[in-house]
Amino acid sequence: MATERPGVGSPREVPILRVENLAISYETRYGEVTAVRDVSFEIGRGETLGIVGESGCGKSTVAFGIVNFLGRNGRIVSGRILFQGQDLVGRSERELRRLRGDRIAMVYQDPMQALNPSLRIGDQMAEVLIVHRRMKKDEAEERCIRMLERVYMPDPANVMRRYPHQLSGGQQQRVVIAMALLNDPALLIMDEPSTALDVTVEAAVLDLINDLQEEFDTAIMYISHNLGVIARVSDKVAVMYAGEVVERAAAEEIFLHPSHPYTLGLMRCVPRLGMEKASSYLHPIRGRVPPPNRLPPGCVFEPRCDFARPECAERRPPLKRLTDGHWVRCFFADEVASKGQEALAARWRKEATVHEPQREPTETILTVQDARVYYSVPARRLFSREKPVVKAVDGVSFHVPKQRTLGIVGESGCGKSTLVRAIIGLEKLSGGGMEFMGFDISVPVSKRDLDLIRNIQMVFQNPDATLNPSFTVGFQIARPLRRFRAVPKDRVKDEVIRLLNLMKLDASYYDRLPRQLSGGEKQRVAIARAIAARPELVLCDEPVSALDVSVQAAVLNLLLEVQRELGTTMLFIAHDLSVVRFFCDDIAVMYLGQIVEIGPAEAIYAPPYHPYTEALLSAVPIPDPTAEQRQIRLSGSVPSALNPPSGCRFHTRCPRREWLPDGGRICEVEPPPWQADTEEHRILCHIPLEQLRRMEAVVSEEVRDAG
Amino acid sequence: MLVRDYMTRHPLMADPDMSVVEARRFMGENNLRHLPVVGEGKRLLGLVTRQTLLVDPGRLGSLNVWEIADYLSRLTLKDVMVPADEVITVGPDVPVEEAARTMVEHRVGCLPVVDENIVIGIITEVDLLAHLAEMMAAGVPAVRVTVRMPDVRGELAKLVTAVSAQGWGILALGGAPAPRKPGYWDAVVKIRGIAQKEVVTALSQVEGHEIVDVREA
Repeated sequence: MATERPGVGSPREVPILRVENLAISYETRYGEVTAVRDVSFEIGRGETLGIVGESGCGKSTVAFGIVNFLGRNGRIVSGRILFQGQDLVGRSERELRRLRGDRIAMVYQDPMQALNPSLRIGDQMAEVLIVHRRMKKDEAEERCIRMLERVYMPDPANVMRRYPHQLSGGQQQRVVIAMALLNDPALLIMDEPSTALDVTVEAAVLDLINDLQEEFDTAIMYISHNLGVIARVSDKVAVMYAGEVVERAAAEEIFLHPSHPYTLGLMRCVPRLGMEKASSYLHPIRGRVPPPNRLPPGCVFEPRCDFARPECAERRPPLKRLTDGHWVRCFFADEVASKGQEALAARWRKEATVHEPQREPTETILTVQDARVYYSVPARRLFSREKPVVKAVDGVSFHVPKQRTLGIVGESGCGKSTLVRAIIGLEKLSGGGMEFMGFDISVPVSKRDLDLIRNIQMVFQNPDATLNPSFTVGFQIARPLRRFRAVPKDRVKDEVIRLLNLMKLDASYYDRLPRQLSGGEKQRVAIARAIAARPELVLCDEPVSALDVSVQAAVLNLLLEVQRELGTTMLFIAHDLSVVRFFCDDIAVMYLGQIVEIGPAEAIYAPPYHPYTEALLSAVPIPDPTAEQRQIRLSGSVPSALNPPSGCRFHTRCPRREWLPDGGRICEVEPPPWQADTEEHRILCHIPLEQLRRMEAVVSEEVRDAG
Repeated sequence: MLVRDYMTRHPLMADPDMSVVEARRFMGENNLRHLPVVGEGKRLLGLVTRQTLLVDPGRLGSLNVWEIADYLSRLTLKDVMVPADEVITVGPDVPVEEAARTMVEHRVGCLPVVDENIVIGIITEVDLLAHLAEMMAAGVPAVRVTVRMPDVRGELAKLVTAVSAQGWGILALGGAPAPRKPGYWDAVVKIRGIAQKEVVTALSQVEGHEIVDVREA
């Protein structure tokens, strides 16, 4: 039977949400600042509109405007918000509450903020029904359990009795989504709902959203900065920049034919899964989003645009129609569209070699042999003989050749940060050894000599936490130079300025304080400080994950340049597998304190895979709705390191166990052996290599070729 | 083929305090003929149709023009709606044909779909007609043949056997008692990818069956 109804159905369906020329402003001490201008879009029944843009583009402001949550200083200046045919603008609080009632629900980034930590899950969920629908308690609870089942929550009746802190992040977000759906809302606004989650959990949550939408026919407004996530969930996409919608089209259309320079820029600055640094270069968007009180007079993107002509600075381009349903706010959209095709293709072309990878074996700079880091935790019972220990890192061995980059990936809690902290000497080793340039470094940093400390430096995830807010940039970069006597005293300032220039910052930054810098600039200063003393090894712990994509690209390029210029060896931790692939020569995949697969980057991203690597890869959101990616989802969350599973630590979640005889009994009892695929590529698994080799590539062949 | 699959979810709804003037505009703008009136928690309070919004001229007869304006501006949906206990509703797990029967029986064009008195959707005659059209594969090119047969068990099986003996597939099949001919049954079969002539040749050989209509549809 035909799935669509040919020739029938209502001719003119009323969209669930229709926003027309919306403008929102905030009263600030600089006067009234317009945060959102001239925003229009529609979301139909059962449709998902993805809103994408960098931070500060007004995405959340639009969402807050719809639910009238702008705070005391925000107001809707003009425009209409039609929800189910009725205008929400200009109504009293009481009227709004009734109109909107329980027909709009919101899900935010941090599930812990939406849940009351002092109430049991069951009580707070049931409250929704008891208050709104005056349902009886036992009936409400039964409904809640059914809803938890729908969001694939394991053991829902038990979850009802727990407190929020007893659930993992992914489970909490499921509870929030279930709660939002209890009232069967017509519109669901999701503001970065999966951003705080691990990639495997994120993938499961995105699948869930797709399933639920089909069932509930809910209109979804999905806000994210991540193009890959947007590609996976959206039917339509609106790209926002500096408070304006600059491009709006069907999802496929926008990813295949981006026609606004900003959209194109966003796509060119994210590494795709399968892109390697030898063959590609990320194209950051220069400059940054202008603050809303200092917008350029013409096109808002003009100062950062590569296509800009004089007229762009003079007047604001209108939103014009390119094809059916494809709207672009650019004078030269046609040109951008055609040039964009070339640019995107060039991004993926392999011949454009930026730097030759050094394949010849070089001397080993860092060797880690069977490293263990255990934390003892308070015993549960007062007089218990054995002291429980958390085995954060348990028997990790690898070596890093000079001038190469080793990437470490894994879900949160797998011990990757602990490992790095042990290398730099912030954690004490409980066993095993580490050697750096021939020196034993299994001692804490306080016992290391100055030269060793100089040679291992670190870049942290959050630059705010690493820069001292009360010292100038110049002073902070100069500090390691003075401390390690890297340059003569009278040349320190020159050296700092040289470093700033290397980081593409000019000398005027010397006297600035960290609060006067943007996030990307702060991270550059942090990198400058780390490389100031010319260390041999730089440890990067998620150096770009707190940054916007356009800035992320610039910082990644910078790190690559630094490495090329100074020949630094790097250890690079990240949870984003496309970034790791782009940045690293070798990759180690960690699970629950152990390395499960290690090898050259290209070998990790192609079969044979460790089953865990395979699942990680299939979870990466790809910014291309036409990309074919196999769906392998892990059930459950990472088990506790306090009591890791016996045998293979991954056996509780492994989707490939059934390949082994007897349903993988062996995985439960016996620790798996290392199997060598090539000399450098090793996999820790019971499944024979021949069988692992027969795995299909996670991302389909043609896409990988293109990528 | 249950109501939940064919209803419109998240229908436009109104508040009992909405003025009749606004409701008329709202229904006109959005091309609605039926408007469920709901309270807190989408609880069904009543139903408004275009007829219910027509103001009885008799009630206005004794009023002057100023009083009429005032009367109309005060009139809200809760004054004119069909109250919930008189509204015919349907549950989401009811077969569509039952919903159709309910609508025919009560001569209404729409049924709010309620789950424990909470409006979760609406099903209208258009939705049911869409279902009918879909069931009979309307708009899909095929040979449509109507065969009249005695209303006896096994007769339809004879027809289906005759079709499948030719190796043809049935695109759609429906049946009803023959109009004005008690004791007989009319079955409509749609067969795709075959010429009309062949269908007639094959089916006219079935004993006791009469082809009453055949066409390319």
